[in-house]
Amino acid sequence: MIRHLLQRLLVATIRFAAAGIALLVLMEFAFCVLGESDRHVWHAESYTPVPPELASRPLTWEELLRERLAMTGRVLLLAVPGILLVGHAWGILGARLRRYRIARLLSAPFAAFACVPGFWFVVLVAIYSYFHWQRPGFADDLVVGRGPDLLSWWHAAVVALPGLAAGIAWQIRAVAGELEREAAQPWVRSLFLAGANDEEIFYGRVLRRSAPNLAALADGTLPALLGSLVVLEPAFRYPGLGSLLVDSIRLGSYPGILLAALSLVAFATAAAFLRELAAPSSA
Amino acid sequence: MNRRQSKLARSMLPFAVQLWRMRRALLLSIPYLLLFGWLFSGGTAGDPRPEELYGIRDAPQWKAPDREHWFGTTANGADLFELTRLAMATSVSTAVVAVSLGIGFALLAVSLFVFDPRASRFDGIERLARAGRTVPAMVGIAILTGAGGGGLVLVIGAIAAAAAFHLCPVLARWFREGEEGFDLIAARIVGLSRREIVIGRIFPSVLRRLPGVFASLVPVAVLAEMGLAFLGFAGERLSVGTMVARGRAYLIEAPWMAIHPGLFATAVVLALSLLGWRVSAALRTGPLPRFL
Repeated sequence: MIRHLLQRLLVATIRFAAAGIALLVLMEFAFCVLGESDRHVWHAESYTPVPPELASRPLTWEELLRERLAMTGRVLLLAVPGILLVGHAWGILGARLRRYRIARLLSAPFAAFACVPGFWFVVLVAIYSYFHWQRPGFADDLVVGRGPDLLSWWHAAVVALPGLAAGIAWQIRAVAGELEREAAQPWVRSLFLAGANDEEIFYGRVLRRSAPNLAALADGTLPALLGSLVVLEPAFRYPGLGSLLVDSIRLGSYPGILLAALSLVAFATAAAFLRELAAPSSA
Repeated sequence: MNRRQSKLARSMLPFAVQLWRMRRALLLSIPYLLLFGWLFSGGTAGDPRPEELYGIRDAPQWKAPDREHWFGTTANGADLFELTRLAMATSVSTAVVAVSLGIGFALLAVSLFVFDPRASRFDGIERLARAGRTVPAMVGIAILTGAGGGGLVLVIGAIAAAAAFHLCPVLARWFREGEEGFDLIAARIVGLSRREIVIGRIFPSVLRRLPGVFASLVPVAVLAEMGLAFLGFAGERLSVGTMVARGRAYLIEAPWMAIHPGLFATAVVLALSLLGWRVSAALRTGPLPRFL
């Protein structure tokens, strides 16, 4: 077990390092080759302190990153468990009622919501908030000074919702598909012929046998969810890692780009590491 | 009576059989073409720049939605519905080109390894894809387009590269699965060469599923393109993303300028997604990785 853990940790570290190098190459190519900038990624002077446009008060990169991580962490805290809980529960239900093709029906509302451009949805929430609740709509318009900061959780929920819907739709179809594939195996028919009932076969055998494959699906939507934050956070003026990345790209701030991108990569790498621990066959 | 078939009839028969096999996909291509035709038929607005449409603040000439202008008008009095249709046509054509290029690149990359007889021929692709999956595709696309100065070619290239990268392992899996069928084992026993088997049997079965991949990826690529335009990373051209982003400045005076283009885009993406799901189901494409 410890050997497996250390092996996966080493693989995760190598992947993270490779992603870091790939990001540096991409930045060099984008800024210096395409953008004709003369600031190369290997020059120490390219790594300047936090520009005033990125923070309202003087901060170090570490402090800024901690703030942005906390904000994006809230979004992920709402979205990831939501995707896993609803996606797996409804996916299992869809597979259980497979003869009625209920999985498609269950995922349809989420899939339809995933067709809504996320940036437009958050702007719509801001407009609704302004006209119906008579308060500024975007995330940076109002700050809670005293008491529990429920408003920032509301903002995180608005940012999380488009990614959550798309993730749930994918997860329901993936979970149901996996279980249906297992339930179509020849041994299931032999159990039927031997007299076992449908419920017993599904929950007692099919679900148990598919558990590692279902665990392997756990982080399937996370990279796409993290990618969606790059558009959703700036659209709702939510000060998270996505906003940091986009603002840093606009300002040409290499440390901001690297910190934001590597933090997002770290989330995805950590999720892949946990998934490979839970389901070694997916490694 | 001469019962022999003519040469023409004999050559047409396999073609007719092939058409019959593809009847579902062909039927689904009709609404696709109708949708594209309708989107591209609204070319009366010319090539307006967002700056011209949304830049006038002193004496705006906008009109709220009415019978004449369903979606209202912009600050310079242009019909918003026609502009949105034009913007959607641009987004859809960008997505179509990007996805086609992405599929082409992926096929080319996988083809380099297909004729290798070793069992481990696709291991490199799969290992690279597993490592690359930890980098959210949108992060790479945003860095490339934002730092590179935007532009249509850059957006197409970035989306195509992301699509190709994530499609490579899918195509590799299809090629591998294609070699496991009983008929191919029989073909090997009969004495057909590996090249003959790959070109004659496996390649056509993979190619047959590619329209399903295309149909599934186009709506996702449309959303990605609009997202980039919203961030201002897609250059100075009309897109629904640009329209919503610019419309935010008039949220209180003219909210329709941000609301209605998004509504139109939602309807088009929904229609493309529905068609994509049906095409993908008809061609048995199977699940694709979610990378955007």
